[in-house]
Amino acid sequence: MKNKTPGYRRKEIIWSLLFIAPPILGFLIFSLTPLVTSFGLSFMSWDMFTPAKFTGVENFRYMFADEKFYKSLFNTVFLLLGVPIGMIISLVLAILMNRQLKGISIFRTIYYIPVISPIIAVSLLWQWLLNYDYGIINEFIWNIFGIQGPNWLGDPDWVKPSFIIMGLWGGVGGNMVLYLAGLQGISSSYYEAAQVDGASRWHQFKHITLPLLSPIHFYVVVMGVIGTFQSFSQMYILAADGGPEYSGATIVYYIFQEAFKYFNMGYASAVAWVLGILIFILTLFQFRISKRWVYQE
Amino acid sequence: MFRKRKWFGLSLTMVLSFMLVLSGCNSGNNSDGNSADSKTQNNTEATTETPGSDSKSQIEFMGWGGDTEKAVFEKLIASYMKKYPNKKVKYTVVPPAEYYQKLDTLIAAKKTPDVFYAGGAHFNKLVSSGVLLNLESYLKSSELVDTNNVWKQGLDRYRYDGTTVGAGDLYGLPKDVGPWALAYNKDLFDKAGLPYPSAKAGEYTWDQMVADAKKLTTTNERGKIDTFGVAAYSLESAVWANGGDWVDPSTGKITIDTPEFAEAMQFVADLSLVHKVSPSPDDEKAQNGYTRFVAGKVAMFPMGPWDQPGFWDLPFQWDIAAWPASPNTGKTATWLGSLGFVVSKNTKYPEDSFALASYLSLDRDSQKENYVLGQAVPNLIDMAKGEFMAMDKAPKSRQVFIDIIEDYGRPPIEVSSKNTKWLDTFWQDASQVWNGQKTAAEFVKAEQPKLQKLYDENNK
Repeated sequence: MKNKTPGYRRKEIIWSLLFIAPPILGFLIFSLTPLVTSFGLSFMSWDMFTPAKFTGVENFRYMFADEKFYKSLFNTVFLLLGVPIGMIISLVLAILMNRQLKGISIFRTIYYIPVISPIIAVSLLWQWLLNYDYGIINEFIWNIFGIQGPNWLGDPDWVKPSFIIMGLWGGVGGNMVLYLAGLQGISSSYYEAAQVDGASRWHQFKHITLPLLSPIHFYVVVMGVIGTFQSFSQMYILAADGGPEYSGATIVYYIFQEAFKYFNMGYASAVAWVLGILIFILTLFQFRISKRWVYQE
Repeated sequence: MFRKRKWFGLSLTMVLSFMLVLSGCNSGNNSDGNSADSKTQNNTEATTETPGSDSKSQIEFMGWGGDTEKAVFEKLIASYMKKYPNKKVKYTVVPPAEYYQKLDTLIAAKKTPDVFYAGGAHFNKLVSSGVLLNLESYLKSSELVDTNNVWKQGLDRYRYDGTTVGAGDLYGLPKDVGPWALAYNKDLFDKAGLPYPSAKAGEYTWDQMVADAKKLTTTNERGKIDTFGVAAYSLESAVWANGGDWVDPSTGKITIDTPEFAEAMQFVADLSLVHKVSPSPDDEKAQNGYTRFVAGKVAMFPMGPWDQPGFWDLPFQWDIAAWPASPNTGKTATWLGSLGFVVSKNTKYPEDSFALASYLSLDRDSQKENYVLGQAVPNLIDMAKGEFMAMDKAPKSRQVFIDIIEDYGRPPIEVSSKNTKWLDTFWQDASQVWNGQKTAAEFVKAEQPKLQKLYDENNK
């Protein structure tokens, strides 16, 4: 065999292959294989014991007729309300934190702590805070307004707002840091020019700050939507059976129940794929319309 | 590029949630390396060759439970291994909530433990899927097991022919029988000047219970109910006592839309809606019945034998009574739970696995250990009627447990199913009745077709 590659070069190639092997193998074993398998499974019926049976589009037909699928989809979409609310709060926080004050970093840290707190522990704490009878939130409402607060986690109408509030508490810190970075990236010359032209603070905010932050808005919206569609942990802890009248179940929770409670692995894969495609379409759509409102410097 | 990354990121998360569970289980199982792998390779019929009673073997046993149960079984297994030095047992405990997830993943990975817990709908599913070893022949040839001295109601729960529980061959041995009894706080009855509810079935009725409960319920100065007459009243008890049922197992028809069923369900709902003697769903959410009973704030509350250790420490006197009888039939009923020890079909050591299961299920020492620690009613009839009855601890009316087993206890609703989705849906939707949005009659009429569909889809 004739080989023109010199020895040291061959050695280098071997080493480079070895270096890229772990991530590639990791991707093949932990991403691609399950991805392909779950796609195949979504056309089958499999309970993990008996061999999988091919059932065609039966899983999908069942899904589109299942009341719980729509309920959990609706719940998930409802939770999306938290995304714009969270953006407003994080932006306000970021502006407040964007000052040269002594000890400002302490405040920034305080708002960031929820982001790195483990979600299970946080959910359990919120369970206490939101308790109907003796939770601190209802106690507070009683003391200030003299009325009985809502049954946060027990009333079908209040479960989702509770989740949104929890999500805000846990999520605004992370977005605040992003906005903070964005704010500090805006050159002060814009503001100086605007001041010379006599623009008020509000006009400066509206015409300089907001548009120049648009790449960050975009990132926050995209990630927020995806994150909301994948929310699961809080529901698993706080609404163990799906909440009153299934009002707390999200799509991922529904998938989890089908897969690991009823062991309908094929069906669960089918729902997971529908969710994946849904997120894909939404994200694609966001990228399309982003061209109209996102400014790149 | 960004788009693509998201796409993969999503798939990755989807996939990871599946993978995490799988890999988590594997690492748990492989902790002692040699046993699990060697077994999977010859999972076929090469098993019957060396049943020599003294040959070496290593068996994997998996169960669930909290710290008490774990301690009990560690002790039992230690004494088993002392008795049979050549028989090694590796015991794994899994938190109850994750048990069936882990078990099913192990089965799918062909690493089924040799002996493990199974019960209810899951047991039916395992038998139907051919995962379990048929124990009939081992039972006949074993001198360890005297079937006349084991509760038939417990043993029959593990006979299954694919459609009917109680018929066909044996696939498991009972770990316990769990009669669901009604406990009451004696101090609260004394304070209200009421006689205790009768321990004899049929003497205490729904009407009497409601009347008593009204006298036992008290309010605090804020106008909120402080002590409730009764909590978590068993819907099963009410429905069965009234002559109704969820499903007719012979035809597979959901029978919740009968007047008997609706009436019983309304009776349970009215305890809180009309009579205000039982915590409402809101109250339950704030503080559940168990916590309230333990705090002395509920007069009557259901319990199983496994609740005994927790209740022994209570600062008040308590006992158990028969469930109140329906005035329409004069009868009462309740459920009799059970969990079993089953053996994998692919075990390398079927004899030894059966021996372990029967030791845990029926050995006199192990049964004694179990009831002394307040875990269960003995599976052995002579022991249950003898020393267990004479035990010097609450509840005094232990006969109630025995009556439930022998007389009016019934298998839990799910016993006729392989998949409980229909039943889970029933409980979820039933909140409309508990919170008064619908009457029971309206609810069962609307719910029947929905449940029938779910039942048919998953239980054929």
